[in-house]
Amino acid sequence: MKTCFSIKNLNLYYGEKQALKNINMEILENNVTAFIGPSGCGKSTFIRCLNRMNDLIEDCKVEGEVIKDGQNIYSSKQDIVDLRTRVGMVFQKPNPFPMSIYDNIAYGPRCQGLKDRKKLDEIVITSLKQVALYDEVADRLHESAMGLSGGQQQRLCIARCIAMSPEVILMDEPTSALDPISTSKIEDLVLELKKDYTIVIVTHNMQQAARISDYTAFFLLGEVIEMDKTDKIFSTPSDKRTENYITGRFG
Amino acid sequence: MRREVKDKILQALTYIASALSVFVLGAIIVYLVINGLSLINTHLLTSNYYPQTANSGVKADYVYSEMGDYSGNGHYSKKWGIAVEDIVTSHNDEEISVTYIDPNSPFAHMESLVAGQEGQDSSLEVGSNIQNIYYTDENGETVFLSKVQMGDAENLVARLDEAEGIVSCNFESLGGGIRGSIVTTLYLIVISLIISLPIGIASAIYLHEYANKSKINRLIRQGIDTLTGVPSIVYGLMGVAVLFPVTQLFGATSTSILLGGLTLAIILLPTIISSTEEALIVVPQSLRDGSLSLGATKSQTIFKVVLPCAVNGILTGVLLGIGRVIGESAALVYTTSTVISDFPTIMSQGTSLSLMIWSIMSGEQPNYELASAISLIILIIVFVINFVVKIIGKRLARSFM
Repeated sequence: MKTCFSIKNLNLYYGEKQALKNINMEILENNVTAFIGPSGCGKSTFIRCLNRMNDLIEDCKVEGEVIKDGQNIYSSKQDIVDLRTRVGMVFQKPNPFPMSIYDNIAYGPRCQGLKDRKKLDEIVITSLKQVALYDEVADRLHESAMGLSGGQQQRLCIARCIAMSPEVILMDEPTSALDPISTSKIEDLVLELKKDYTIVIVTHNMQQAARISDYTAFFLLGEVIEMDKTDKIFSTPSDKRTENYITGRFG
Repeated sequence: MRREVKDKILQALTYIASALSVFVLGAIIVYLVINGLSLINTHLLTSNYYPQTANSGVKADYVYSEMGDYSGNGHYSKKWGIAVEDIVTSHNDEEISVTYIDPNSPFAHMESLVAGQEGQDSSLEVGSNIQNIYYTDENGETVFLSKVQMGDAENLVARLDEAEGIVSCNFESLGGGIRGSIVTTLYLIVISLIISLPIGIASAIYLHEYANKSKINRLIRQGIDTLTGVPSIVYGLMGVAVLFPVTQLFGATSTSILLGGLTLAIILLPTIISSTEEALIVVPQSLRDGSLSLGATKSQTIFKVVLPCAVNGILTGVLLGIGRVIGESAALVYTTSTVISDFPTIMSQGTSLSLMIWSIMSGEQPNYELASAISLIILIIVFVINFVVKIIGKRLARSFM
C-alpha cells in the first residue's frame, strides 16, 4: 500500500510551549487513520499540520518534515493554496457559509476560477450524491444552507470538501457536535468515502475509532504513544498507557 | 431597620436621577413641538429660504372667462378667481398670502416684467405673498394698490371685486423654507460616505484580517482610537488648513460643500473603521477556516465570505455616519460657511440643517420657531436612524445562530 503522508521528527511550538513532540508516522493511502487521546493531547493540532492550517495561528512554529508525494509540505517551495485543494478538511462544528446550498459547494471550484455553469451543476450534484444528501435537499439547492439540520450541515461540509476532489480528507472530530443518528450517517459515509479518498479522523469516541478506522494512533501529551492496526490497538496494545486509556482508566 | 432606610433612600435617589434625565429629554421635545410643529409642512421642506420677488403682468393674449367656485381657506374673489388669507411668516412679517388660484384667473396667466426676463412665464402661485397690484377701474384708468392700501385679505378681495381688469402684480414667494439646507445635507452625506466608506472598510480589513501585533500596528490603532475623541471644531480647522488646497485643485475659490464633505469624511473614518471592525470580529473564525481549507486565498476568503457576513455591521456604521453628518455643525462653520444657500452646488457654500439653525439663531432677530422646526426634523431623522440601527443589530445577532 502506498504512503500518503510521511511525517518525520515533527515538533510544534505555540510560542514557548511545545505542543507536539518528535512525531514520526506513516499515513497510508485509501485507509482511515484515527487519532485518539485525551483532551489537549495534540491530536487536533497534529491533523491541522497536515494541510498547514496551523499557519493561521500566530506564534505557531513547526519543525521537522511532512512529506507528501516526495515533497516536504513545509518547504518554502510549497504552494499552500494548492496543498489545501489536495488536502481537504472537515471541522468539529459544521461551518457552512451563510449562502445557498449550491453556492456552498460551488465555492471551492469557483475560487479556483471555474465558471462553467454546467460543470458546476455537475460537481454540486455528484458531491451531494456522494454524501447521500442530494435526495434530502434536491428541491432547495438555492435556499440558505443555514436552514439545514446539524447533521445535514456537516454532510454538506463534507460535500463541499469533496467538490474540490482532494486526495485526502482530514476530519477534526466531525461528529462531536451531532446527535447519534447523524453520527452514524457520517460514519457510514466515511466507510464509503474510504474507497476514493485517504481519510484522517480525530475522534474523542473510542468506539467510533474502533468502528471505522483501519489504523489508530494514540496521542498523549503531544507524543504518539502507539500507532498500529486498529484491531490490534483495541485488543492487545503494546503500551501500558494505551491500555489504560482504552479501558477507561483515565481520559 | 436603619439598613432598610438607607436602602430605600439609595433606591429613591436612582429613581429621581432617571426621572430627571427623562424629564430633560421630554422637556426639550415638548419645547420643540410647541414652537416648531406648526411650521412643519411641505412648504417648509420644499421652498427657498430667501423670498423671491417677482413683478408680473397679465399676458396680452389672456381672455377673461368665468371662474369656478372655491370653498377653502381665505377670502375668495369669484370675479378674479383668487383666494387670499392673512398670515405671519417665519420672519414675523404680516403678509397676504395666496391660498388658491383658479386656472382661468388672470393671475394664472402672467409673464415677467423684470428687466432681462421679459416674456418668461411668471404667474402667481399658491403660497406667494402679494405686495401690490395694478388694476383698471370702470373709467379705464390704471389704479395702483399698495400693500398699505390693500390692508388685509378681506379688504383686498373687496377692492379687487370693484376692479374692471387686472394689469400687473408684485409678489414675493413665501421664503423661510429649508430645501437648500436639505439638499446641502444630502450632498454632505453622499460626499463624505463616498470617500470614507471605501477607505474605512479597507483599513478595518487591514487591521483585523492582515495586521499582526507589531508596534507600528498598535500605533496605528491607537491613532484611530484617538481620532474618535478629537473635537470636531479641530477637524474644521484642519479642513480649512489642509483640505482647502485640495479642493482648490478641483477649482474651488472659497469654502465649499466639497470641503465640508471632505472634512466630514475624515470625521467619519474612525466610526466606519470601528463599526466595520466590530462586524468583522463577529464573523466566526470557523468560516474563515472553512474557506481557507477549501483552497481559497486570503483575499477570496475576505471578499467572498467575511465581508458579506459583515455587511449588516458595516451598514450600521454607515447609518451612524449619516447621523453624525446630520448632527455636525462645528466642523462645518469654517468649511461650508454659514451662509444659507437656496441653490447649493458642490462647489458653492451652503449650510447643513444643523448649521442652518446656528445661522438663523445668530442673526439680529433669532428665529426660534424656524430653529425649533428644523430641530424637530433633525430629531425625527435621528430617531428613525437609531431605530433602523437597532433592527439591523438584531438581525446581525441572529444571522450566525
